[in-house]
Amino acid sequence: MSEPIIELQNVGVAFSAQLRMGAPRFWALEDVSLSLPRGARLGVVGRNGAGKSTLLRVLAGILAPDRGKIRAVRVSCQLLSLALGFVPYLSGRDNAILSGLMLGLRRREIERRLPAILEFSELGDFFEQPVSSYSTGMFTRLGFSVAMQVEPDVLLIDEVLSVGDTEFQKKSGDALRERIHNGTTVVFVSHLDALIKQVCDCAVWIEHGRSVMQGPVDAVLAAYHAAAPVAIAAQ
Amino acid sequence: MRLYWLELILFSTYAELRAERARSYLGFLWWIIEPAMNMATYYLVFAVVLKTGQRDYVPFLLVGLTFWQWFKSGVSHGGLSIWQQLNLIRQVRLPLQVFPSVQILADTVKFAFILALLLVILWAYGYKPDVTYFALIPVLLVELVFTAAVAYLVGAMMPFVPDLRFVIEQVLQVVMFLSGVVFSLDSMPPDLRRWFELNPIVELIDAARDVLMYARWPDWWALGRVTLISFALFALGAYLIRRYTPRYVKLPT
Repeated sequence: MSEPIIELQNVGVAFSAQLRMGAPRFWALEDVSLSLPRGARLGVVGRNGAGKSTLLRVLAGILAPDRGKIRAVRVSCQLLSLALGFVPYLSGRDNAILSGLMLGLRRREIERRLPAILEFSELGDFFEQPVSSYSTGMFTRLGFSVAMQVEPDVLLIDEVLSVGDTEFQKKSGDALRERIHNGTTVVFVSHLDALIKQVCDCAVWIEHGRSVMQGPVDAVLAAYHAAAPVAIAAQ
Repeated sequence: MRLYWLELILFSTYAELRAERARSYLGFLWWIIEPAMNMATYYLVFAVVLKTGQRDYVPFLLVGLTFWQWFKSGVSHGGLSIWQQLNLIRQVRLPLQVFPSVQILADTVKFAFILALLLVILWAYGYKPDVTYFALIPVLLVELVFTAAVAYLVGAMMPFVPDLRFVIEQVLQVVMFLSGVVFSLDSMPPDLRRWFELNPIVELIDAARDVLMYARWPDWWALGRVTLISFALFALGAYLIRRYTPRYVKLPT
C-alpha cells in the first residue's frame, strides 16, 4: 500500500428534497471520512439508504461535497455504468461509439476497440442493427462490453459484478475480476459479505451517512454485524 | 474547448439526426416538409386571407421565417436539453454545454436544407445571387452564436424551473411577431423602431433580407453590435452552465 490517492475528510452531501423555493435539503451523506490507497480494493458496506451509492458518486466526481474536504491526486475515476447514454434507434456500433465518448474515450480509441467489443458481446450481425431490436440479454452484453473498454485508475462498482444470462454471467464476472485483481484501485459496494470478502482487501462501513469504521475486511464486517441489532433498535 | 468535447458533440449530433430520421416513415423528408407546411400556413393567413399588401411580401415572409425558425428551434430544443439529460448527468461527469450544442447543431443541419430550398425559391422569383452573398457568412455565424447564447441561458435555468418549458413556446411566439418576421417594422416611427432593433433577431433578419432580396450589403455597424451582444451572452450562458453543474445533480429526481 502506498499514499492515498483519494482522501475524504468529514464529507457531507445534501440534496434538494423538492422542486420549490426554500425547500428543505436532506443530507444523504453527513460525515464521511475515508482514505483510498493506490491499488486498494475497498469494500463499502452498510444498510439500504446509508449513502453508499452517493459515496460512489462523490468519488466519481459527479457530486461535489457541500461540506468537508476531498483531497485527490489527479486520477480518473469511473463509475461502472452499463449502457450509458444508449439511444434505442441507433445501431450497436453507433451506440458503442457514443457511449465510449461519454465515458471519456477518444473516437479513435473506441474505433480501435470495436472489434473487441463485437467479439466480447457475441452480437454478430446484430451489431449493425438498432439496439431497439435487441433482446434484454443482447442489450446487457453490449452495455457491459462497452463499459469494460474504459480503463480508469479507480474503478467504482455499485453491486454489479456480472450481468446477463448464466453463460455470460461467468464470462463478464471473470473479465471484471481480472480487471479488479490487475492492480486497478477499486471501490466496491455490495450487500453480500461473500463478495466483499472475495473482492476486497479493506472495507469501510457507512451508517446513516456517516463512516463508522475503516479497516481490514473481516474486522469491519464483524463490527457491522455486531452492531446490527443496536442500529435497528435505535431507529 | 478540448478536442474530446468536439468529438462528443459531433458524434452526438450525428446520433441525434440519425435517431430522429429513424423515428418516422418519411425520415429526413420531414426536415423540409414540416417547415414548408409552417411557411405555407403563414403565407395562407397573412398573404392570402389578410392580404398583407406589402410589395415583395412572399420573399419577405420566407426569408424572415427561415432565419427565425432556425433560431426558434435551436432555443426550444437546446433550452430543454440539459433538463432532459439529468438522468445521464447523474451517472457520468460531462461538460454540460455539450447537450444544448448538439441540439443547435442538429437544427443547423436541418436549417441548411431549408436555406438551400429558400435560395432556389428566391432565384425562381427572380432574386438572383449577387456578390453580397458573401455577407451571409458572418450573418449566419452570428445568428448561430446568438442562438447558442439564448439556448445556453434558457438551458441553464430549465433544471431549476422546469415550468419554463410551458412558457418558452409562447414567449418565442410573441418575440417572433415583435421581430419583423411576419410584419415589416418599417411602417413604425423610426424612434420606436430603434428600440426594436435592440433585439438581435431584428438586425439579423434585416441583414438577411438586405442580401437575399435587395443585393445590398448589410448594416455592418448593426451586425458588429449584434456580434458583441451574442458573444457576451454566449460567455455568460456557458459560465452559468458550468457554475450550476454541481447543483443540477442534486435536484430531486
